Amino acid sequence: MKTNLASLKIAMTSRKKHKKYASGTSLLEVKNVSKTFGVLTVLKNVSFSAQEGNILVIIGPNGAGKSTLLKLTSGLLPLEEGEIWFKQQRLNGLAPHYIASLGITQLFQDIQLFLNMSVIENVMVGCHLSSKTDFVSSGLRLGWAKADEKMIFKRAMSQLSLVGLKDKAFSSPISLSWGQQKLVGLARALATSADLLLLDEPYSGLLGDEIEWLNQLILGLRRQGMTIIIIEHLTDILMGIADQVIVLDHGEKIAEGTPAKIKSNKIVIDAYLGDESSKMDG
Amino acid sequence: MFANTKVIKDIIPPKIASAKLHNLALVLFATVMMTIPFGASPYPLTVMVDVGLYSIISMGLILFMGLAGQISLGHAAFFGCGAYISGILTTEYHIAPWLALFLAALITGSIAALIGRLIFRLHGLILAGVTLALNLVFFYLVSSLVDVTGGTMGMMNIPPLSWGQFTSQNLLFNYYLVWIVVILLLVFSLNLADSRAGRALRALNIHAGGSEYAAQVLGVNVTRYKVWVFVLSAVYASLAGSIYAHYTRIIEPNSFMVQSSAMLALMVITGGRSSPWGALLGAGLIVGLRQILRELIPALVGELSGAYELIAYGIILALMLLFLPGGLISLGRRAVPKRESSQDED
Repeated sequence: MKTNLASLKIAMTSRKKHKKYASGTSLLEVKNVSKTFGVLTVLKNVSFSAQEGNILVIIGPNGAGKSTLLKLTSGLLPLEEGEIWFKQQRLNGLAPHYIASLGITQLFQDIQLFLNMSVIENVMVGCHLSSKTDFVSSGLRLGWAKADEKMIFKRAMSQLSLVGLKDKAFSSPISLSWGQQKLVGLARALATSADLLLLDEPYSGLLGDEIEWLNQLILGLRRQGMTIIIIEHLTDILMGIADQVIVLDHGEKIAEGTPAKIKSNKIVIDAYLGDESSKMDG
Repeated sequence: MFANTKVIKDIIPPKIASAKLHNLALVLFATVMMTIPFGASPYPLTVMVDVGLYSIISMGLILFMGLAGQISLGHAAFFGCGAYISGILTTEYHIAPWLALFLAALITGSIAALIGRLIFRLHGLILAGVTLALNLVFFYLVSSLVDVTGGTMGMMNIPPLSWGQFTSQNLLFNYYLVWIVVILLLVFSLNLADSRAGRALRALNIHAGGSEYAAQVLGVNVTRYKVWVFVLSAVYASLAGSIYAHYTRIIEPNSFMVQSSAMLALMVITGGRSSPWGALLGAGLIVGLRQILRELIPALVGELSGAYELIAYGIILALMLLFLPGGLISLGRRAVPKRESSQDED
């Protein structure tokens, strides 16, 4: 993988800036959300908001309900209790593809690349919403469908350049390392031009310089106005880039604030950070 | 996380060669098919018409099963819909056969859209079961509605399609009609597979390494795409059914039984689900084999081939799934160099 941070800087400057939604307002608002699976309560009355252009990090031990929260936001799980608002639109009951069209996308913990497509085709699926070509125009390869296809290809290529994997465009995802697959997944998510990016443990499985590369990329995206929600375990890495941190424990929000505030929060230290730091020391 | 990677490699879609090589193969194929009738006797041409008709239905099924990863064990019902609607429109309402063919496709497509909206919350074996049940419903419906369909006796005297002085009573006319439709639908299907819609369909193919979750968060309306590809495959089957009805001029329910649907699925699996080309290979293999068995079995055991044919199909299916899960098309793919760019046709 190319880990040249200078090339990342160049790629980031050529990326289109995000259109500001409404300054000073919350892009995403989660209100009193609870979720149960049978008798198991995964989330209990969780509320928070994400400000536009910020990096919000949600931390918590395994089983804290972090991934469930992201799936509820992207519509992959039905929301029965509570409300989620995005750009002042209620997301309850909306289909995931519709939520994606509003500007929310997600990178899964297990990436879920399409293994039956090449790398570039994976990213081209990310451009799905930017084209309107249908079955008939595609099958007949009408002029505008061809032009659209060319545009999608170029956009997908530029996203691959951004993550430094242009040379892998025609490879199968199976041939890539885990870290490279993560970056393809990220390029695919970025190709949607979403305003809110949900990252489910993006650092897991990445090595030293890959982590730094991803950090720089996330910071670059924030500079361009993108709002990012990250759920992770690697707290010390994230504390350096987060604007706001939320701590979940057993489905409940136990703390919220700036990284500095969270680091000194006794409840958090007892429930999570202390445990993490002792593990690191060990 | 996903299925066996060897299987996935076998069913990676048609990025098999450069676009130029691909176009050349198409032109070559079209030329060969158009010159075959010269000097050929009627028997192989009749078989080739059958291969062409089954290729049309299988091609639609490949889009539905191979590209989108859905399962249908009931597509003979749509084949029958095309045949019966064409038959009824031309014999009862005296509508011109060509118009009847298009109306049949439209009506069959609308029926498929209606069914699709109801059944595409289902997955896997349950979906397969429902499509199988739909085929049974169709069979018993056309067998029971004696006044409209002729019941088990079938419909007779369906007028042929005609073009100038040629009619579909003429074998050569039929051959060219069927194979021109095959070639046009092949081009259409190949274009579709390598487009925005084709990628969306492949994205939701969970059997070949796709992910419905990932497709949805990227904005793909999964249900709509499933319904559309179901409709498209039904329209393909309907076109084949209409041509079949005007060609044979007699139709009866047995041609559209569940066994026919199973044979269609077998063609898709043996030919290869990953490319529309697989439909031609599968239809060629199974129709060819059927002809051989129908002559060979009576000579060997002194009985009609019926049950033995089914045994042979079962064995072929098992062998294919064991040793060549990507179908015959995957043999060709191993021999052809990988395509460098999907944009080099521009």
